Amino acid sequence: MSAAEKMSRRDEMETLLPFYLNGSLEGSDLEAVEEWLATDPAAMAALGEAEAEFSGTSAANEAIRPPADALSRLAKALDAEAGPARKPTGSSWLAQAWGRFMAVPVGVAWAAAAVLLALIAVQSLVQPGGKGKDFEIAGAQDDLAKMPFALVKFKPDAKMSDISAFLGGNGLKVIGGPTADGVFRIGIPAANAADYAKQLGIIAAQPFADTVIEGRKPVDGG
Amino acid sequence: MTAATETDRALVDRVAKGDRAAVRLLFMRHHARVYRFVARQTGSEMMADDIANEVFLELWRQAPGFEGRSEVSTWLLGIARFKALSQLRKKKEDWIDDEAAAAVPDSADTPEVVTMKEDKAAALRRFIDALPEEHRTVIDLAYYHGQSVTEIGEVLAIPVATVKTRMFYARKKLGEALKAAGYDRGWP
Repeated sequence: MSAAEKMSRRDEMETLLPFYLNGSLEGSDLEAVEEWLATDPAAMAALGEAEAEFSGTSAANEAIRPPADALSRLAKALDAEAGPARKPTGSSWLAQAWGRFMAVPVGVAWAAAAVLLALIAVQSLVQPGGKGKDFEIAGAQDDLAKMPFALVKFKPDAKMSDISAFLGGNGLKVIGGPTADGVFRIGIPAANAADYAKQLGIIAAQPFADTVIEGRKPVDGG
Repeated sequence: MTAATETDRALVDRVAKGDRAAVRLLFMRHHARVYRFVARQTGSEMMADDIANEVFLELWRQAPGFEGRSEVSTWLLGIARFKALSQLRKKKEDWIDDEAAAAVPDSADTPEVVTMKEDKAAALRRFIDALPEEHRTVIDLAYYHGQSVTEIGEVLAIPVATVKTRMFYARKKLGEALKAAGYDRGWP
């Protein structure tokens, strides 16, 4: 007979209490502990003792602080093992940098992400439609300068991937910013004031939009 | 599905396809607990630092073979446990067997003297830390890591009955140590 089989009922219940407390107990073991707690006057005191152990164990573990640079070292180790992350086919360095930030909450690396957003806005000026750069820059800048826009600030926990997908899916463009406090100028391709107001409402309704302020509106009938 | 709600298993699937962002997310979710687990196992934060990072490299390597039979957290702790034991064996550490581990933790002072100026909670924490590694580990896995009897068996590669036996002795020893320090809790 094993030691476990030799246990008294109290021993058995005391053995199961930690698992009752962590919520992993089920089936007949759970029923047995609950029945014991309901019928044995000593059981609730025993549960209190186990709770004290729970607290003590948590405190002992939480007192151990992992180093802050562990993630960056893991990234280097992964690079050493598997090589640099795959480059998206035919993409620029900017697209690669953008890709690395896509899954990062804006609040985690806001400054760097904001710079990337701004750079992408610049790139959209530099290479529209893959045509000749010099000609397109002048034309695009001129168009964008006249484009209706709104001033938008995103929430700190917004995902870059969500913002990018939303902008791209709605024909919106980052045409300026960010300011020091993270406000972007978002170009809105609206033909009239009603369309502008509608698109402004859509932006404001996005879960990642923090503040949306009216900017230049289109001239009605234009 | 957003990253915040993506399950561990879905992230492991992404890792299996070469997605390093998924490794990063799993790292952020589990690293601290893996690190603490190894630190408690080995008594060395330096060793814990190395091993915890190796665990996530193993995650990268082994993700394609992960079958989802256990929780990802259990799987990671199992890898950590294996690596910690390997490292300790390399250092020729002596491990205490179950029989020896059943002995009450020794101390230069009597428990009464040591605990004279500390309250029961502080005494309890000290006694938990002083438990033999095999006993402290099941305490940590149950109370801090929230593992079930079966999951602890998987992490430590021991039968369920052995998990219960170790838990029994761990709690019995804590009770005895507390009693010796003047805190009789009625069991054992």
